[in-house]
Amino acid sequence: MNIDRHESFQRMIDESMAGALSAEKQQPLREHLATCATCQEYLSASNRVIAGLSGFSFAVNPTLNARVLAAIRLQVEERRGIRARHTGTIRKHNVPFRNWAAFAGGLTLSFVGSELVYQMAGRVADPMHFVSAHLRAGVLVFWLLPSLCAALCLLAAPGQKRGLA
Amino acid sequence: MESETQRIAVGLRQGDLVVLEALVEQYQYRLVRYFVSLLGRRDGVDDLVQETWLRVLERGRSYDGQSRFEPWLFRVARNIALDAMRKRPMFSLDSNEGDGISPSPASDEPSPYTLAARTQDAERLAHSLETLEPACREALVLRFQEDLSLQEISVIVGAPVSTVASRIYRGLATLRPQFEGETS
Repeated sequence: MNIDRHESFQRMIDESMAGALSAEKQQPLREHLATCATCQEYLSASNRVIAGLSGFSFAVNPTLNARVLAAIRLQVEERRGIRARHTGTIRKHNVPFRNWAAFAGGLTLSFVGSELVYQMAGRVADPMHFVSAHLRAGVLVFWLLPSLCAALCLLAAPGQKRGLA
Repeated sequence: MESETQRIAVGLRQGDLVVLEALVEQYQYRLVRYFVSLLGRRDGVDDLVQETWLRVLERGRSYDGQSRFEPWLFRVARNIALDAMRKRPMFSLDSNEGDGISPSPASDEPSPYTLAARTQDAERLAHSLETLEPACREALVLRFQEDLSLQEISVIVGAPVSTVASRIYRGLATLRPQFEGETS
């Protein structure tokens, strides 16, 4: 049997060890190994290398686990703290778009409604014997200002529960 | 029923301490062994292990649970080791294969392999392992100790499967003469 043929099978042994040998090559390799002492020795030496690799046992620092777990817990707590602060910041300053839209809508309705009532107050003041200026001032205080306050509440109210809207 | 990898993925996404603690217990030794194979030294490995777990916590969302956890973990560990090599002048970035890993400088202290050898065969391999190219050593450890497939190793080291296979062949070829000419 020539050297090239041994090399070819020894290459197949390496591939088999690495998990790269195709299924159809496994049978010819087995048949060759059954009759070839040189390749058997090659396989045996390879197996001893692999077994030898398992003969190492690295000492692990007994405090390493505790140290790692402490670092992980600290990191988790820090992340939770940052998240909580971040959420608070959002509530304080970062008003969602829908709140802005509700605020704008409320503000518009307040002004339009107030203007209509203001005009109406001027017209009904005389027939009802009220002083027109007093009636209009009443409309401003008791209609427009509460409406504006309600619209501002839309901005301040968190999330879903916008009670005053 | 939820698979183990899915459970790990969900735990990492939520930063679940129970899951993380279990993973640390399960993989600590294997990480130490992997770092030693990568760096060829024992000192500094504990820091890398700790940093690896913190990165696992930080990047846990990127593990989707569709594949095994080990390749993902070892890839994170490898990136940590490469970062450390870049930061620390004691490790060189020069390499024949351009994979960013090169042999650690020679030291008077016994190699971690000499200290860790527990069998006669391991003692015989210790010196050869110390002088073996780190990329080959890494491939041997991932294949024969971590039992990863060529494809999984290829993902970890960021090299083609054929390159990984040739590293394994080269590693075996370097170590095999220790046992040739003997009957086992």
